[in-house]
Amino acid sequence: MTSNTLIRTRNFAMLALVQVLIFSQIHLFGYATACVYLIFLLKLPRHTSQNELLVWSFLFGLTVDIFCNTPGLNAAAATAMGFIRNTILAIFTHKGLPDDFVPGARSLKWGGYIVYSLACIGIFYTVLFILELFTISYASELFLSVTSSTLLTMLFVTVIECFSRTR
Amino acid sequence: MQTILNFLIKHNHWFLFILLEGISFVLIVSFNNYQNAAMFTSANSIAGNMYETLSDIDRYFGLKSENDALVEQNAVLLNEIQALKEELKGYQDSTMLAEHVAIAGGRQGYRYMSARVVNSSYNKVDNYMTLDKGAAQGVKPEMGVIGKDGVVGIIYQTSDNFSLVIPLLNSKSNINCRVKGTGSYSALHWEGGDARYSYLIDLPRYAVFEKGDTVVTSGFSSIFPADIPVGVIDYLEDSKDGLFYRARVELFVDFTNIGNVFIIGNDGKEEQSELEKKGEKE
Repeated sequence: MTSNTLIRTRNFAMLALVQVLIFSQIHLFGYATACVYLIFLLKLPRHTSQNELLVWSFLFGLTVDIFCNTPGLNAAAATAMGFIRNTILAIFTHKGLPDDFVPGARSLKWGGYIVYSLACIGIFYTVLFILELFTISYASELFLSVTSSTLLTMLFVTVIECFSRTR
Repeated sequence: MQTILNFLIKHNHWFLFILLEGISFVLIVSFNNYQNAAMFTSANSIAGNMYETLSDIDRYFGLKSENDALVEQNAVLLNEIQALKEELKGYQDSTMLAEHVAIAGGRQGYRYMSARVVNSSYNKVDNYMTLDKGAAQGVKPEMGVIGKDGVVGIIYQTSDNFSLVIPLLNSKSNINCRVKGTGSYSALHWEGGDARYSYLIDLPRYAVFEKGDTVVTSGFSSIFPADIPVGVIDYLEDSKDGLFYRARVELFVDFTNIGNVFIIGNDGKEEQSELEKKGEKE
Protein backbone atom coordinates (compact mmCIF):
# COMPACT_ATOMS: atom_id res chain seq x y z
CA MET A 1 0.00 0.00 0.00
CA THR A 2 2.78 2.39 0.99
CA SER A 3 4.89 1.57 -2.05
CA ASN A 4 1.76 2.01 -4.12
CA THR A 5 1.30 5.54 -2.77
CA LEU A 6 4.98 6.28 -3.38
CA ILE A 7 4.78 5.15 -7.00
CA ARG A 8 1.63 7.19 -7.42
CA THR A 9 3.30 10.30 -5.97
CA ARG A 10 6.27 9.81 -8.29
CA ASN A 11 3.98 9.49 -11.30
CA PHE A 12 2.13 12.58 -10.13
CA ALA A 13 5.33 14.66 -9.95
CA MET A 14 6.63 13.42 -13.30
CA LEU A 15 3.37 13.98 -15.14
CA ALA A 16 2.95 17.41 -13.55
CA LEU A 17 6.43 18.45 -14.73
CA VAL A 18 5.86 17.17 -18.25
CA GLN A 19 2.46 18.86 -18.37
CA VAL A 20 3.64 22.23 -17.11
CA LEU A 21 6.97 22.43 -18.93
CA ILE A 22 6.00 20.92 -22.26
CA PHE A 23 2.32 20.36 -22.98
CA SER A 24 0.98 23.55 -21.41
CA GLN A 25 3.34 25.53 -23.65
CA ILE A 26 1.97 24.03 -26.87
CA HIS A 27 -1.11 25.63 -28.35
CA LEU A 28 -2.21 24.30 -31.71
CA PHE A 29 -4.07 26.81 -33.90
CA GLY A 30 -4.83 28.91 -30.83
CA TYR A 31 -7.53 26.50 -29.73
CA ALA A 32 -6.13 23.13 -28.76
CA THR A 33 -4.07 22.58 -25.61
CA ALA A 34 -3.35 19.04 -24.46
CA CYS A 35 -3.90 18.15 -20.80
CA VAL A 36 -1.87 14.96 -20.67
CA TYR A 37 -1.98 14.87 -16.88
CA LEU A 38 -5.53 13.50 -17.15
CA ILE A 39 -3.96 10.14 -17.93
CA PHE A 40 -3.07 9.91 -14.25
CA LEU A 41 -6.76 10.07 -13.32
CA LEU A 42 -7.79 7.75 -16.16
CA LYS A 43 -5.32 5.12 -14.95
CA LEU A 44 -6.28 4.95 -11.28
CA PRO A 45 -7.52 1.41 -10.49
CA ARG A 46 -11.21 0.55 -10.80
CA HIS A 47 -11.82 0.31 -7.08
CA THR A 48 -10.20 3.59 -6.10
CA SER A 49 -12.71 5.08 -3.69
CA GLN A 50 -14.75 7.99 -4.89
CA ASN A 51 -13.24 10.25 -2.21
CA GLU A 52 -9.66 9.35 -3.07
CA LEU A 53 -10.37 9.96 -6.74
CA LEU A 54 -11.78 13.40 -5.97
CA VAL A 55 -8.81 14.42 -3.82
CA TRP A 56 -6.27 13.31 -6.45
CA SER A 57 -8.13 15.14 -9.23
CA PHE A 58 -8.41 18.32 -7.19
CA LEU A 59 -4.73 18.30 -6.19
CA PHE A 60 -3.57 17.65 -9.72
CA GLY A 61 -5.81 20.35 -11.16
CA LEU A 62 -4.63 22.85 -8.56
CA THR A 63 -0.95 22.06 -9.22
CA VAL A 64 -1.38 22.70 -12.93
CA ASP A 65 -3.40 25.84 -12.16
CA ILE A 66 -0.64 27.33 -10.03
CA PHE A 67 1.86 26.99 -12.83
CA CYS A 68 -0.48 28.20 -15.56
CA ASN A 69 -1.95 31.22 -13.75
CA THR A 70 -5.49 29.90 -13.89
CA PRO A 71 -6.33 29.43 -10.19
CA GLY A 72 -9.32 27.13 -9.79
CA LEU A 73 -10.04 26.43 -13.47
CA ASN A 74 -8.23 23.12 -13.90
CA ALA A 75 -9.06 22.16 -10.33
CA ALA A 76 -12.79 22.57 -10.93
CA ALA A 77 -12.72 20.73 -14.25
CA ALA A 78 -10.55 17.86 -13.01
CA THR A 79 -12.70 17.42 -9.90
CA ALA A 80 -15.78 17.19 -12.09
CA MET A 81 -14.07 14.54 -14.18
CA GLY A 82 -12.93 12.63 -11.08
CA PHE A 83 -16.48 12.68 -9.78
CA ILE A 84 -17.95 11.06 -12.86
CA ARG A 85 -15.06 8.76 -13.82
CA ASN A 86 -16.17 5.68 -11.86
CA THR A 87 -19.68 5.92 -13.29
CA ILE A 88 -18.34 5.99 -16.84
CA LEU A 89 -15.86 3.20 -16.10
CA ALA A 90 -18.68 1.02 -14.74
CA ILE A 91 -20.30 1.06 -18.20
CA PHE A 92 -17.21 -0.49 -19.77
CA THR A 93 -16.55 -3.05 -17.04
CA HIS A 94 -17.37 -6.59 -18.17
CA LYS A 95 -17.42 -9.92 -16.37
CA GLY A 96 -14.11 -11.32 -17.54
CA LEU A 97 -12.14 -8.69 -15.67
CA PRO A 98 -10.38 -9.17 -12.34
CA ASP A 99 -11.98 -7.40 -9.41
CA ASP A 100 -9.65 -4.41 -9.22
CA PHE A 101 -8.16 -3.72 -12.63
CA VAL A 102 -6.27 -0.74 -14.05
CA PRO A 103 -8.20 0.77 -16.98
CA GLY A 104 -6.19 0.33 -20.17
CA ALA A 105 -6.15 -1.12 -23.66
CA ARG A 106 -5.52 -4.61 -22.31
CA SER A 107 -8.29 -4.67 -19.71
CA LEU A 108 -10.97 -2.71 -21.58
CA LYS A 109 -9.84 -3.54 -25.15
CA TRP A 110 -8.83 -0.67 -27.40
CA GLY A 111 -12.37 0.32 -28.30
CA GLY A 112 -13.55 0.43 -24.71
CA TYR A 113 -10.52 2.31 -23.47
CA ILE A 114 -10.74 4.95 -26.20
CA VAL A 115 -14.45 5.60 -25.69
CA TYR A 116 -13.98 5.68 -21.90
CA SER A 117 -11.08 8.17 -22.22
CA LEU A 118 -12.93 10.29 -24.77
CA ALA A 119 -15.94 10.59 -22.49
CA CYS A 120 -13.85 11.57 -19.46
CA ILE A 121 -11.63 14.03 -21.36
CA GLY A 122 -14.65 15.53 -23.12
CA ILE A 123 -16.33 16.24 -19.79
CA PHE A 124 -13.13 17.78 -18.44
CA TYR A 125 -12.75 20.21 -21.36
CA THR A 126 -16.43 21.09 -21.46
CA VAL A 127 -16.29 22.21 -17.82
CA LEU A 128 -12.91 23.89 -18.32
CA PHE A 129 -13.85 26.01 -21.32
CA ILE A 130 -17.29 26.91 -20.02
CA LEU A 131 -15.63 28.25 -16.87
CA GLU A 132 -12.88 30.02 -18.81
CA LEU A 133 -15.24 31.69 -21.27
CA PHE A 134 -17.73 32.48 -18.53
CA THR A 135 -18.00 36.14 -19.41
CA ILE A 136 -17.36 35.96 -23.14
CA SER A 137 -19.56 33.18 -24.44
CA TYR A 138 -19.11 32.25 -28.05
CA ALA A 139 -20.78 28.90 -28.65
CA SER A 140 -18.87 28.08 -31.82
CA GLU A 141 -15.52 28.93 -30.29
CA LEU A 142 -16.39 26.86 -27.24
CA PHE A 143 -17.28 23.87 -29.39
CA LEU A 144 -14.11 24.23 -31.43
CA SER A 145 -11.91 24.49 -28.33
CA VAL A 146 -13.52 21.51 -26.59
CA THR A 147 -13.40 19.28 -29.66
CA SER A 148 -9.87 20.10 -30.78
CA SER A 149 -8.40 19.89 -27.27
CA THR A 150 -10.18 16.62 -26.53
CA LEU A 151 -8.92 15.04 -29.74
CA LEU A 152 -5.38 16.31 -29.20
CA THR A 153 -5.26 14.96 -25.64
CA MET A 154 -6.80 11.70 -26.84
CA LEU A 155 -4.01 11.38 -29.40
CA PHE A 156 -1.35 11.68 -26.70
CA VAL A 157 -3.22 9.33 -24.37
CA THR A 158 -3.37 6.73 -27.15
CA VAL A 159 0.31 7.12 -28.02
CA ILE A 160 1.32 6.79 -24.37
CA GLU A 161 -0.91 3.72 -24.05
CA CYS A 162 0.86 2.10 -27.02
CA PHE A 163 4.25 2.46 -25.36
CA SER A 164 3.18 1.79 -21.80
CA ARG A 165 4.65 -1.38 -20.25
CA THR A 166 1.96 -2.04 -17.71
CA ARG A 167 -1.00 -2.27 -19.99
CA MET B 1 -32.96 9.56 11.75
CA GLN B 2 -30.86 6.43 11.27
CA THR B 3 -31.91 6.23 7.64
CA ILE B 4 -30.94 9.82 7.00
CA LEU B 5 -27.55 9.29 8.63
CA ASN B 6 -26.97 6.14 6.62
CA PHE B 7 -27.89 7.98 3.47
CA LEU B 8 -25.47 10.79 4.26
CA ILE B 9 -22.62 8.40 5.06
CA LYS B 10 -23.23 6.37 1.94
CA HIS B 11 -23.12 9.44 -0.24
CA ASN B 12 -20.32 11.28 1.55
CA HIS B 13 -18.39 11.72 -1.70
CA TRP B 14 -21.10 14.10 -2.82
CA PHE B 15 -20.16 16.43 -0.02
CA LEU B 16 -16.47 16.16 -0.79
CA PHE B 17 -17.25 16.90 -4.42
CA ILE B 18 -19.27 19.97 -3.54
CA LEU B 19 -16.58 21.13 -1.10
CA LEU B 20 -13.75 20.80 -3.64
CA GLU B 21 -15.74 22.47 -6.41
CA GLY B 22 -16.57 25.20 -3.89
CA ILE B 23 -12.88 25.79 -3.18
CA SER B 24 -12.16 25.92 -6.93
CA PHE B 25 -14.85 28.52 -7.50
CA VAL B 26 -13.63 30.63 -4.59
CA LEU B 27 -10.17 30.53 -6.20
CA ILE B 28 -11.51 31.49 -9.61
CA VAL B 29 -13.54 34.39 -8.26
CA SER B 30 -11.01 35.64 -5.71
CA PHE B 31 -8.18 35.71 -8.24
CA ASN B 32 -10.14 38.23 -10.22
CA ASN B 33 -10.92 40.49 -7.29
CA TYR B 34 -8.46 39.90 -4.55
CA GLN B 35 -5.06 41.46 -4.85
CA ASN B 36 -3.05 39.08 -2.66
CA ALA B 37 -3.71 35.87 -4.49
CA ALA B 38 -0.14 35.74 -5.83
CA MET B 39 0.47 32.54 -3.88
CA PHE B 40 -1.71 30.60 -6.29
CA THR B 41 0.00 31.91 -9.42
CA SER B 42 3.35 31.40 -11.08
CA ALA B 43 4.59 34.46 -9.17
CA ASN B 44 5.06 32.25 -6.11
CA SER B 45 8.66 31.34 -5.39
CA ILE B 46 8.61 27.64 -6.34
CA ALA B 47 6.92 28.07 -9.69
CA GLY B 48 8.79 31.31 -10.32
CA ASN B 49 12.21 29.81 -9.76
CA MET B 50 11.37 26.81 -11.89
CA TYR B 51 10.25 28.97 -14.79
CA GLU B 52 13.32 31.13 -14.35
CA THR B 53 15.65 28.14 -14.74
CA LEU B 54 13.73 27.00 -17.78
CA SER B 55 13.84 30.41 -19.38
CA ASP B 56 17.59 30.61 -18.65
CA ILE B 57 18.07 27.49 -20.73
CA ASP B 58 15.67 28.71 -23.37
CA ARG B 59 17.36 32.11 -23.57
CA TYR B 60 20.75 30.56 -24.20
CA PHE B 61 19.56 29.42 -27.62
CA GLY B 62 18.28 32.86 -28.48
CA LEU B 63 21.41 34.80 -27.52
CA LYS B 64 22.44 35.60 -31.06
CA SER B 65 19.17 37.13 -32.18
CA GLU B 66 18.85 38.90 -28.84
CA ASN B 67 22.29 40.42 -29.37
CA ASP B 68 21.39 41.58 -32.83
CA ALA B 69 18.26 43.22 -31.51
CA LEU B 70 20.21 44.99 -28.77
CA VAL B 71 22.81 46.28 -31.19
CA GLU B 72 20.04 47.57 -33.39
CA GLN B 73 18.32 49.26 -30.48
CA ASN B 74 21.63 50.79 -29.40
CA ALA B 75 22.05 52.31 -32.82
CA VAL B 76 18.58 53.79 -32.71
CA LEU B 77 19.19 55.24 -29.25
CA LEU B 78 22.53 56.72 -30.30
CA ASN B 79 20.85 58.38 -33.25
CA GLU B 80 18.20 59.77 -30.99
CA ILE B 81 20.78 61.18 -28.58
CA GLN B 82 22.51 62.85 -31.48
CA ALA B 83 19.29 64.38 -32.73
CA LEU B 84 18.39 65.63 -29.26
CA LYS B 85 21.84 67.15 -28.78
CA GLU B 86 21.48 69.08 -32.00
CA GLU B 87 18.09 70.29 -30.97
CA LEU B 88 19.46 71.35 -27.60
CA LYS B 89 22.12 73.39 -29.37
CA GLY B 90 19.39 75.36 -31.06
CA TYR B 91 17.93 76.26 -27.69
CA GLN B 92 21.28 77.16 -26.20
CA ASP B 93 20.88 80.90 -26.50
CA SER B 94 17.20 80.99 -25.86
CA THR B 95 15.99 82.49 -22.62
CA MET B 96 13.30 79.84 -22.63
CA LEU B 97 15.85 77.09 -22.06
CA ALA B 98 16.00 77.00 -18.28
CA GLU B 99 12.26 76.90 -17.92
CA HIS B 100 11.82 74.42 -20.75
CA VAL B 101 14.23 71.85 -19.37
CA ALA B 102 12.95 72.29 -15.84
CA ILE B 103 9.39 71.51 -16.91
CA ALA B 104 10.35 68.46 -18.93
CA GLY B 105 12.60 67.01 -16.26
CA GLY B 106 10.80 67.88 -13.08
CA ARG B 107 7.17 67.28 -13.83
CA GLN B 108 7.14 63.53 -13.89
CA GLY B 109 10.09 61.34 -13.07
CA TYR B 110 9.79 58.11 -14.99
CA ARG B 111 12.37 55.48 -14.13
CA TYR B 112 13.10 52.43 -16.25
CA MET B 113 14.10 49.03 -14.88
CA SER B 114 14.91 46.08 -17.08
CA ALA B 115 13.32 42.71 -16.35
CA ARG B 116 13.04 39.35 -17.97
CA VAL B 117 9.88 37.47 -18.85
CA VAL B 118 10.13 34.03 -17.26
CA ASN B 119 6.67 32.77 -18.17
CA SER B 120 3.87 33.95 -20.43
CA SER B 121 0.82 32.73 -22.28
CA TYR B 122 -1.16 34.11 -25.21
CA ASN B 123 -3.88 31.61 -26.00
CA LYS B 124 -6.34 32.13 -23.16
CA VAL B 125 -8.98 34.79 -22.59
CA ASP B 126 -7.05 36.09 -19.58
CA ASN B 127 -3.34 35.77 -20.17
CA TYR B 128 -0.66 36.60 -17.65
CA MET B 129 3.08 37.06 -17.72
CA THR B 130 5.64 36.51 -14.96
CA LEU B 131 8.70 38.76 -14.60
CA ASP B 132 11.88 38.06 -12.62
CA LYS B 133 11.76 41.30 -10.60
CA GLY B 134 9.55 41.75 -7.57
CA ALA B 135 8.81 43.85 -4.51
CA ALA B 136 12.39 43.44 -3.25
CA GLN B 137 13.63 45.21 -6.40
CA GLY B 138 11.12 48.00 -6.00
CA VAL B 139 8.38 46.77 -8.33
CA LYS B 140 4.89 47.79 -7.26
CA PRO B 141 1.44 46.94 -8.63
CA GLU B 142 0.19 49.30 -11.35
CA MET B 143 3.61 50.04 -12.81
CA GLY B 144 3.76 50.00 -16.59
CA VAL B 145 5.65 47.37 -18.61
CA ILE B 146 6.99 48.02 -22.11
CA GLY B 147 9.07 45.99 -24.55
CA LYS B 148 11.46 47.37 -27.11
CA ASP B 149 8.65 47.58 -29.66
CA GLY B 150 5.96 49.09 -27.46
CA VAL B 151 3.52 48.66 -24.60
CA VAL B 152 3.31 45.21 -23.00
CA GLY B 153 1.05 45.61 -19.98
CA ILE B 154 0.68 46.63 -16.35
CA ILE B 155 2.02 44.99 -13.16
CA TYR B 156 -0.85 43.29 -11.34
CA GLN B 157 0.65 41.55 -8.33
CA THR B 158 4.12 41.22 -6.86
CA SER B 159 5.82 38.72 -4.61
CA ASP B 160 9.32 39.18 -3.17
CA ASN B 161 11.27 38.34 -6.31
CA PHE B 162 8.66 37.94 -9.02
CA SER B 163 5.79 39.93 -10.38
CA LEU B 164 2.69 39.11 -12.39
CA VAL B 165 1.76 41.28 -15.38
CA ILE B 166 -1.62 41.80 -16.99
CA PRO B 167 -0.50 42.10 -20.62
CA LEU B 168 -2.56 43.69 -23.37
CA LEU B 169 -3.79 40.15 -24.05
CA ASN B 170 -6.11 40.02 -21.07
CA SER B 171 -9.80 40.88 -20.98
CA LYS B 172 -9.08 42.95 -17.86
CA SER B 173 -6.47 45.06 -19.66
CA ASN B 174 -7.69 48.59 -20.22
CA ILE B 175 -5.13 51.11 -21.41
CA ASN B 176 -5.98 54.57 -22.60
CA CYS B 177 -4.60 55.22 -26.08
CA ARG B 178 -4.46 58.01 -28.61
CA VAL B 179 -4.27 57.93 -32.39
CA LYS B 180 -0.98 59.66 -33.15
CA GLY B 181 -1.31 62.99 -34.86
CA THR B 182 -4.96 63.39 -33.84
CA GLY B 183 -6.71 64.19 -30.59
CA SER B 184 -8.90 61.10 -30.41
CA TYR B 185 -8.62 58.99 -27.29
CA SER B 186 -10.01 55.57 -26.58
CA ALA B 187 -9.43 52.56 -24.34
CA LEU B 188 -7.72 49.50 -25.79
CA HIS B 189 -9.56 46.21 -25.21
CA TRP B 190 -8.59 42.68 -26.02
CA GLU B 191 -11.40 40.32 -27.01
CA GLY B 192 -9.63 36.99 -26.99
CA GLY B 193 -8.55 35.04 -30.04
CA ASP B 194 -5.64 36.19 -32.17
CA ALA B 195 -2.65 37.39 -30.12
CA ARG B 196 -1.69 39.95 -32.78
CA TYR B 197 -4.78 42.15 -32.56
CA SER B 198 -6.56 44.29 -29.99
CA TYR B 199 -9.43 46.77 -30.33
CA LEU B 200 -10.09 50.46 -29.77
CA ILE B 201 -13.83 50.29 -29.17
CA ASP B 202 -15.09 53.82 -28.69
CA LEU B 203 -13.29 56.18 -31.05
CA PRO B 204 -15.41 59.30 -31.57
CA ARG B 205 -16.98 59.59 -35.02
CA TYR B 206 -15.92 63.15 -35.61
CA ALA B 207 -12.25 62.24 -35.31
CA VAL B 208 -10.11 62.23 -38.42
CA PHE B 209 -7.91 59.21 -38.85
CA GLU B 210 -7.48 56.31 -41.19
CA LYS B 211 -6.11 52.84 -41.65
CA GLY B 212 -2.36 52.77 -41.06
CA ASP B 213 -2.32 55.41 -38.33
CA THR B 214 -0.15 54.65 -35.32
CA VAL B 215 -1.73 54.18 -31.90
CA VAL B 216 0.26 55.44 -28.88
CA THR B 217 -0.32 55.77 -25.14
CA SER B 218 -2.23 58.86 -24.08
CA GLY B 219 -0.11 59.63 -21.02
CA PHE B 220 -3.26 60.42 -19.01
CA SER B 221 -3.02 57.58 -16.54
CA SER B 222 0.51 58.34 -15.25
CA ILE B 223 1.31 54.65 -15.63
CA PHE B 224 2.87 55.16 -19.05
CA PRO B 225 4.55 58.28 -20.37
CA ALA B 226 2.78 59.74 -23.39
CA ASP B 227 3.54 58.58 -26.94
CA ILE B 228 4.80 55.07 -26.32
CA PRO B 229 3.86 53.07 -29.42
CA VAL B 230 1.14 50.43 -29.10
CA GLY B 231 0.22 49.37 -32.62
CA VAL B 232 -1.16 50.30 -36.05
CA ILE B 233 -4.83 50.64 -36.99
CA ASP B 234 -5.39 47.88 -39.47
CA TYR B 235 -9.17 47.68 -39.85
CA LEU B 236 -11.98 50.17 -39.17
CA GLU B 237 -15.69 49.55 -38.69
CA ASP B 238 -18.75 51.02 -36.95
CA SER B 239 -19.36 50.00 -33.37
CA LYS B 240 -22.45 47.93 -32.62
CA ASP B 241 -24.59 50.89 -31.61
CA GLY B 242 -23.24 52.98 -34.50
CA LEU B 243 -22.17 55.82 -32.23
CA PHE B 244 -18.44 55.18 -32.39
CA TYR B 245 -15.77 53.72 -34.59
CA ARG B 246 -14.25 50.41 -33.70
CA ALA B 247 -10.67 49.94 -34.81
CA ARG B 248 -8.67 46.76 -34.96
CA VAL B 249 -5.11 47.48 -33.89
CA GLU B 250 -2.20 45.34 -34.95
CA LEU B 251 0.07 45.29 -31.89
CA PHE B 252 3.77 46.10 -32.25
CA VAL B 253 4.81 43.70 -29.51
CA ASP B 254 5.01 40.05 -30.53
CA PHE B 255 3.53 38.34 -27.48
CA THR B 256 4.32 34.88 -28.78
CA ASN B 257 8.02 35.63 -28.49
CA ILE B 258 8.93 38.05 -25.76
CA GLY B 259 12.12 38.08 -23.69
CA ASN B 260 13.30 41.36 -22.18
CA VAL B 261 11.01 44.12 -20.98
CA PHE B 262 11.28 47.40 -19.08
CA ILE B 263 9.27 48.24 -15.98
CA ILE B 264 8.36 51.91 -15.74
CA GLY B 265 8.19 53.47 -12.32
CA ASN B 266 6.72 56.93 -11.91
CA ASP B 267 7.81 58.97 -8.90
CA GLY B 268 5.22 61.63 -9.49
CA LYS B 269 2.39 59.15 -9.80
CA GLU B 270 1.14 59.21 -6.22
CA GLU B 271 0.99 62.96 -6.31
CA GLN B 272 -1.07 62.85 -9.49
CA SER B 273 -3.50 60.20 -8.31
CA GLU B 274 -3.92 61.92 -4.96
CA LEU B 275 -4.76 65.13 -6.73
CA GLU B 276 -7.23 63.34 -9.01
CA LYS B 277 -8.92 61.69 -6.03
CA LYS B 278 -9.23 65.03 -4.29
CA GLY B 279 -10.86 66.44 -7.39
CA GLU B 280 -13.37 63.60 -7.58
CA LYS B 281 -14.42 64.11 -3.99
CA GLU B 282 -15.17 67.75 -4.34
